[in-house]
Amino acid sequence: MKRLNDITSEQQAMQSVVGLTDVFEGLASMRIAQIKNQVLSSQSFFRELWGIYSQVRVSPNFTYGRGLEKPEIDKDLFIAITAEGGFSGDIDQKLIDWMLSMYDPSKHELIIVGHHGALQVSQAHIGFKRYFKMPLHDNNINVMPLINQVKRYKTTTVFYQTYVTLMVQDIKKIELKRAIEQASASHKKSVGQLISDDYIFEPSVESVASHLENTMMQITLTQTILDSKLAQYASRFRAMRRANDKASDMSSELKREYSHTKRFIADERTKEVLNGLMKMEQTS
Amino acid sequence: MTETNEKDRTLKVKVASPYVTYFDQPALSISGVNKTGPFDVLPGHHNFITLLEPCELSIKTAVDARKIRINGGLMHVRSDSAIVFLDV
Repeated sequence: MKRLNDITSEQQAMQSVVGLTDVFEGLASMRIAQIKNQVLSSQSFFRELWGIYSQVRVSPNFTYGRGLEKPEIDKDLFIAITAEGGFSGDIDQKLIDWMLSMYDPSKHELIIVGHHGALQVSQAHIGFKRYFKMPLHDNNINVMPLINQVKRYKTTTVFYQTYVTLMVQDIKKIELKRAIEQASASHKKSVGQLISDDYIFEPSVESVASHLENTMMQITLTQTILDSKLAQYASRFRAMRRANDKASDMSSELKREYSHTKRFIADERTKEVLNGLMKMEQTS
Repeated sequence: MTETNEKDRTLKVKVASPYVTYFDQPALSISGVNKTGPFDVLPGHHNFITLLEPCELSIKTAVDARKIRINGGLMHVRSDSAIVFLDV
């Protein structure tokens, strides 16, 4: 049987774990709320940009900000957005496996965001063109280095984790061009005639259209990164919730053990006293 | 008969990035810099879309003047309204 002091110190340690996991759980849920707000605010910005773009676009197709220039590389680009570190469960592995099942070196090239994904692609003995760190912060994410790569390829498909609910995360792939068209589809009806023939464009309609394509790509890529982060925070929240539940259970178990031991010691003492009294009575 | 005082006319000015709105209220003028050079937009300005260079936007309101440093963006001027979409 454990000593009372040992049980007390174990119980204190377990209470610290409960407190810490409570804090981490709170932080994760706060970040989830912040990211959701950011995504909502960027949707309204996107809607206004689309209103202009849909009326000034030079080509009927989305040109990835290249204007009338042809892509430099005649291949499709696969971008995988994964976690920077571990603690993300097996979702990154699923994402990488899914992407690699479609990968054909003669048709595709890979860019990986997040160290965890880069490690798994390397372990599969497949080379990737570039690796970018997953941004640490949720604000002011600079996706320009990624956009500069996207512009060089024929098309771009992004593989990322997505937030379904706090308890459910999934993996998803989307062609960047289609993602932009989908995001704009819901706004098309609300856009009236904004641009008339009497507009002055500085420096030119083509540059304005390319700039708008760049900005919309930046917003869309940022949103996929934010969606991945949201899924990662939710996954961490879930892990913390499990740790918290387990620590709470262990703490209750230790409390019960403490009471049991304390009662046992008291009973033993009472027994000893009674035995002593009985012996005294027998000898007298 | 009422007389419109040109001095009282204002522009509806909005300066925003995808995640933050920096300014959203009536103003007397907004000034910025594009490839051609510095320019001002006053009420009654012609319909206009321009790419902005990195510069300090200057917005004059009836009570004060605001300056916002930007890395670039796009300005859309239409019917006494100027919206600046800042680069991400």
